[in-house]
Amino acid sequence: MKDRYLKAVSRALAAPRDVRQEILRDLAEIFAAAAEHGESARQVAERLGPPARFADSAAESFGIDNAARRKRRGLLFALLFLAIAVCTLGIWAAARLSSPVDGVIGQADAMTGIQLAGGADPLFLLPVVGGFALLFAAWFLFRALRKRR
Amino acid sequence: MEGRYLQQFKKGSLEMILLCLIGRGETYGYEIISALNRQAGVLGYAKEGTVYPLLYRLQRAGLIGCRLAPAPANGGARKYYSLTAQGRQVLGELIGFWADYQNCVNGFIEAYRETEDLG
Repeated sequence: MKDRYLKAVSRALAAPRDVRQEILRDLAEIFAAAAEHGESARQVAERLGPPARFADSAAESFGIDNAARRKRRGLLFALLFLAIAVCTLGIWAAARLSSPVDGVIGQADAMTGIQLAGGADPLFLLPVVGGFALLFAAWFLFRALRKRR
Repeated sequence: MEGRYLQQFKKGSLEMILLCLIGRGETYGYEIISALNRQAGVLGYAKEGTVYPLLYRLQRAGLIGCRLAPAPANGGARKYYSLTAQGRQVLGELIGFWADYQNCVNGFIEAYRETEDLG
């Protein structure tokens, strides 16, 4: 419970490393002190409130607008995955569109009867990667833009 | 009777209360929260989520300092807070202002009460 809370706060903290370390250290101390006095980690977690909210208000007192930083970080990730999607899907589309029989020695007039045995078309990976990248981009965009109370 | 009005009201003097607590002698997080909760009937239940951000702010403002020392029982480390010289000075000013502020507010309350008695 405690590790889960700490990890959640760490993920929600879009702050410089020294600030993040200090806040996480203090959080560990809070849990340790509470345990010393017979409180469960769950009770402490409830009292601290949602990890993201704790991260925001702690970072705020360091002069950091955590929510804005987190949003910016999410948008950057969305952009990154969008770029990956565009690249992979673009390469795939270009490969599909270019004629496969160009440059064949002898300039055959008809398709050859020789078939490739086995092996998946490596080009198939491109739309798959592109599709996932698109999904990730949409996910990060959704997370970054949704309203948090 | 609990409400958003009271919450905002209490938040205002919490920093001064923290300075008073720390000013009495070097103390640490859990001790501070426990001391506040002894007045939970009036102040409400003190939560780390409220107090720690204030402690960070007071540190950044140079009013309190902290040192890391090994915690006796759980083997980890513990932050001990103490008032800086500047913190002591600011606390003195805040206490002085608090007295004036009290008189001022009481004056408004008195004036209001008088009209209530008449009407």
